[in-house]
Amino acid sequence: MSDFARIRPDNASRRVFLQRASALSIAGSAAPWALSLSAMGEAAAQTATDYKALVCVFLFGGNDYANTLVPYDQASYDAQYALRSNLRIDRSALAANLLKPGTALPGGRQYALAPGLDPLAPLFNAGRMAVLLNVGTLVQPTTLAQYQARSVPLPPKLFSHNDQQSYWQSSSPEGATSGWGGRMGDLFASGNGNATFTSMGVSGNAVYLAGKSAVQYQVTPNGSVAVRGIASPLFGSAAASSVLQSLMTGARSQNMENEYVRVCQRSLNANAQLSSALASVNLATAFPSGNSLGDQLKVVARLIAARGALGAKRHVFFVSIGGFDTHDSLLDTHPALMGRVGQALAAFHQATVELGVAEQVTAFTASDFGRTLVSNNGGSDHGWGSMHFVLGGSVKGAAFYGNAPVIASGGPDDVGQGRLLPSVSVDQYGATLASWLGVSNTDLASVLPNLGNYSTRNLGFV
Amino acid sequence: MHAPTIEPETDSAPSVASAPAPAPNTPASTYTGAALLAAAGGLLSACGGGDGPSPGPGLNPPSSPVPATDKPTSVRDAARFLTQATLGYTRADLDALMSAGSFTGWLDTQFALPRSASHFDWLTAKGYGDAANIFSTKGLDNTIWRKFIASPDALRQRVVLALSELCVVSVLGINSSWPQFAVGSYLDVLEANAFGNYRQLLGQISLNPAMGYFLTFRGNVKANPATGSQPDENYARELMQLFTIGLLQLNPDGSVQSAGGKPVETYKQADVSGLARVFTGWDLDSSGLTRPYPPEIMRRPMVQVASRYETGAKSFLGATVPSGATATDSLNSALDTLFNHPNLPVFVGRQMIQRLVTSNPSAAYVTRVAAAFANNGAGVRGDMKALLTAILLDPEARDASVAAAPNFGKLREPVTRFLNWARSYGVTSTSDTWAIGDLSDPSSRLGQSPMRSPSVFNFFRPGYVPPDTSFATQGLTAPEFQITNEVTVAGYVNYMQQVIGNSVTGDIKADYGTLTPLAATASAAALVAEINQVLAGGALSGATLGQIQSAVESVAPNTANGPRNRIFIALTLVMASPEFIAQK
Repeated sequence: MSDFARIRPDNASRRVFLQRASALSIAGSAAPWALSLSAMGEAAAQTATDYKALVCVFLFGGNDYANTLVPYDQASYDAQYALRSNLRIDRSALAANLLKPGTALPGGRQYALAPGLDPLAPLFNAGRMAVLLNVGTLVQPTTLAQYQARSVPLPPKLFSHNDQQSYWQSSSPEGATSGWGGRMGDLFASGNGNATFTSMGVSGNAVYLAGKSAVQYQVTPNGSVAVRGIASPLFGSAAASSVLQSLMTGARSQNMENEYVRVCQRSLNANAQLSSALASVNLATAFPSGNSLGDQLKVVARLIAARGALGAKRHVFFVSIGGFDTHDSLLDTHPALMGRVGQALAAFHQATVELGVAEQVTAFTASDFGRTLVSNNGGSDHGWGSMHFVLGGSVKGAAFYGNAPVIASGGPDDVGQGRLLPSVSVDQYGATLASWLGVSNTDLASVLPNLGNYSTRNLGFV
Repeated sequence: MHAPTIEPETDSAPSVASAPAPAPNTPASTYTGAALLAAAGGLLSACGGGDGPSPGPGLNPPSSPVPATDKPTSVRDAARFLTQATLGYTRADLDALMSAGSFTGWLDTQFALPRSASHFDWLTAKGYGDAANIFSTKGLDNTIWRKFIASPDALRQRVVLALSELCVVSVLGINSSWPQFAVGSYLDVLEANAFGNYRQLLGQISLNPAMGYFLTFRGNVKANPATGSQPDENYARELMQLFTIGLLQLNPDGSVQSAGGKPVETYKQADVSGLARVFTGWDLDSSGLTRPYPPEIMRRPMVQVASRYETGAKSFLGATVPSGATATDSLNSALDTLFNHPNLPVFVGRQMIQRLVTSNPSAAYVTRVAAAFANNGAGVRGDMKALLTAILLDPEARDASVAAAPNFGKLREPVTRFLNWARSYGVTSTSDTWAIGDLSDPSSRLGQSPMRSPSVFNFFRPGYVPPDTSFATQGLTAPEFQITNEVTVAGYVNYMQQVIGNSVTGDIKADYGTLTPLAATASAAALVAEINQVLAGGALSGATLGQIQSAVESVAPNTANGPRNRIFIALTLVMASPEFIAQK
């Protein structure tokens, strides 16, 4: 095991901690939860001179947790595949990916990564990756009895793809207008040289990236896109190019028109700086080919490399990969998805090492929901809690966070068919990441509005 | 094993043939504005208790009104109507509606137009059924563009695109042989029912192989007590959430019912599990076919495999299909339950308004449309003609003063912008291959391509609220903004520039016969005005027209390529104008 990342004596952090603790104490409004060094270390991010980036890797469709993080000890393995005998991964294929935490899980529980995730097992074992056990959407801590009695508020529209995607990203169902990534962007945008380059996505609009004031900015795996008819004369006419630019950027009084124009303005205004910044980036790390997630993470790595030219101190990124709604043919499709995720994440981490920013970049996975443990004929159905990964040089890896759920259908940790009742909430997961990025404890409540319902607000994995 | 294919028509869902649709061109008392307002008012007060019943046959249906005048009073009037009702219209279409036509007469003509060659037949005739194509999507984009661009049944094609974004199937999610024939057949089903009855449409899509593959209930197996395996819940869930009733109980005006301060949900997990038992046992109909099965198998409704069908009782939404019911009876019973759910007319109706007219219809508009879909005036629920008539002839759709409000309208989808151009200028494929391809790439094409949605949730959601906009501040939706971002706004303009620039010399050829004479004169005013009327629905302001005119006039008309480049510049600039992109 490699625990070097767990304890990181840092006088600067301690100093900030003391200042912040003092300020809170004077204000008399100190939040009642325990302040940890890691949570407070970067409390004054808006004026930070260093650089950090947080990368959300969203697995669209609801990842099948059970065939992703596979119980390995014989009893657990047998229990799982008694409930999904037709979705079995041979135990022998898991041996090489056995996770070796610094501290063993209670009860002899062991997990291995799915075979396709083989590039990630060494990163876990080297302390660069942590595993979150049974994390999912909640409003407040919820027991099984409370769920069954509906005696506490629950996330609305459980098991619905679009709504749970939205809830994961924003703490609200579909129709939400800001997410916790973007709300972090709100805090950091003013500290960045160009606020546009704060919350950035590579896979299309995602509410995660939308702030209350900061807007999200989208690029392609090749960077930004220039409007050709503006960059060079439109059908031979520079005057026409000028009109094109004017039409695309002139403010309008009609709202549909004006909001469209605002997007065009951002597109045109940002393109020159972004393409120039990316042009000077050299990145040697090989990314997997034919892997859209790899393509997206590669441009994220290049944007990180261009952080100086972009004037960025804090970056919030969103990338995604689809295809995880494995209702059937799971054994045909899920291993390939795992392979893409494993190779893309490992290459990305290697790129941050190459760039010398491994400790300043943290990537984490998210998904609509987990799935049922019980199989249908060839797949699994919509569930709730799931297993997720956090990867980066600052991660306190080689460790599991949260509780290993009892493997059962209708057991103490599931709401039926192995749909896990989350033991850790997205709010706690997000708050831990936000604290690492430098969100102060006082600002956390604005980033994750339900966080006040939890006594543990930093899970300590980074 | 070959059970007969089911006949989805039941007593509760009379077929269109046996129940005449309303005659929209005979505005009798049920179609007067007064009746409309009275009935709508009644409905609005009825839903005040938060438990508003759906208007049943006993109510005097408010159905669709005839606007103050059934004839367009201006070119802009006519152009707006055709913009909402078609994927693009020509100068001739516009003149016909202006000179002789009425809106209701136009609808009658469109309802009566025959269908052009089916997707399946065209794919077959063009050789896409050759063995080499068995595992490819080859031909699918071709036949889609052929129909959407060149099929004369303009209203039907508009409705097919809208239905394809409501009852979504995507070829990206079809894990089978002959995916192009499967999706082509699915589109043929949407076409066949576009002017029919929604209940019949539900019956046919529920047995369509493309849907069976896409939402994974083809081959679905009843619970197995030995292994603990349960039926796949995919179709049961999305059929309820997306195609019929939605997640929340709605009032007839589309607002959400609440109880104790919380929205009332339409179903629970147990309802999904119960309904999933209905969708067991269905599989492809291979009778008389030999392996490898030919494309034909993809247009046959699925049939039952008795050994996989759950014969036990099935309970969902307060209904129970008794133990022992046949698979066909179970299916019909389940679809009847969903079809007769109070939510269905408003859930479907509101989304169809969003596709054709405006992102944020008023409660009164939604109420009127839902009422017409609940009862076409002759006691028929689910009549698509009544739905479309109600949407397109409603005062809110027709009234130019309503359209002038700053939030009215919708963003034209990238695909409809492209099709607006293609249909306005009679685009043809010289080789009849329609090799336009997949336009999904957001950086170099449209970021959207029909039947290639990333998931069953369509390219954009009806409830999408674009963050950091005036819509978010006002709590309004703008669905098409979900695929609008810094990449797609640039990719779209680049793609249109490329397509327009190739439209004289390439295989995909436009007919600029109406524009060419106007491009050769010194003043470009007439050229720009013509494009405004035909392509832009007459929506461009004088200021924009002036800007575009000056750009066009920067190119001399008296050189070899001058007139051509003038047309290209004018078209590209019109299509890049926010006043075109926002349909009002």
